[in-house]
Amino acid sequence: MTAATQRMEDALARVARGDRSAFEVIVREHQAMVFGMAYYFLHDGSRAEDIAQEVFLRLYQNLASIVSPAHLVHWLRKVTSRCCIDATRKDPPDRQMSLEEAPEPAEARGVADHLLSQRLQRLVASLPGNARMVIILRYQEELELAEIAEILEVPINTVKSRLQRSLATLREKLAAVLEVEGHETS
Amino acid sequence: MRPLDDELRSALRRRDPPAGFAGRVMARLTARPAPRAGWREALRSLFRMPRLRWVAVGIAACLLLAIGVVQSQRRQRAQGEIAKEQLKQALHIASSKLNLARKRVQEIDRRSPES
Repeated sequence: MTAATQRMEDALARVARGDRSAFEVIVREHQAMVFGMAYYFLHDGSRAEDIAQEVFLRLYQNLASIVSPAHLVHWLRKVTSRCCIDATRKDPPDRQMSLEEAPEPAEARGVADHLLSQRLQRLVASLPGNARMVIILRYQEELELAEIAEILEVPINTVKSRLQRSLATLREKLAAVLEVEGHETS
Repeated sequence: MRPLDDELRSALRRRDPPAGFAGRVMARLTARPAPRAGWREALRSLFRMPRLRWVAVGIAACLLLAIGVVQSQRRQRAQGEIAKEQLKQALHIASSKLNLARKRVQEIDRRSPES
């Protein structure tokens, strides 16, 4: 058992005994995962924070059903995915995508990487909801197709086809963007 | 440019929320009631307490002992049943042999006055 797993097991046991402060340990451990998923899905920092907070509040109400640290991670991924997809269904984004990116690094290669990452994030955010979540679970969480299928409650072949289609779309759009920029700079 | 897979991995790294996120979640939680422990967790926490752990071990040992006693009684009863059946069968065989012998004796008795 890793130290992180042991820490989570202890935190879960403490929260179960009514120690609320232990819940903060759980939040801190998993906030980057939950917020990251919501952020890349919505591409909006404040909406992502709302979703992430909601996910953790739901977790607190459902802690009794969590049986292990691995189950906790699975539960968080599942609920975050559902909340994100529901959020776009209920409330489509009506404002320009906000980018709260850090200042660009000075090094040329770093600048290029950073810009490419930003472009990719925007392109991912432009994919249809379900396909977007497949990409996020695959590349942020580095999950296998079967695990993604389980989280999204869809057949594995659906995940496979969504992933292939999304990658083809991203490749195509990215090539088009880079070509346009190449023309502009030359 | 690196392959798209690598670019995506790099672009979609886990991302920390703005500072104070955990504090804001905890602040919202204070307004809510504490969650009720489910039966599974209640059972697990029971086993986590050291004294109760020994009580649980004792109960488990008693249960095992009781199960052992019941099993042994059941086995003895089954063996008794088998012995009873065997005895019945032996008596049946013995009685048929005795009948046969009696018939032979009677036959001999019937023949002997003539001779």
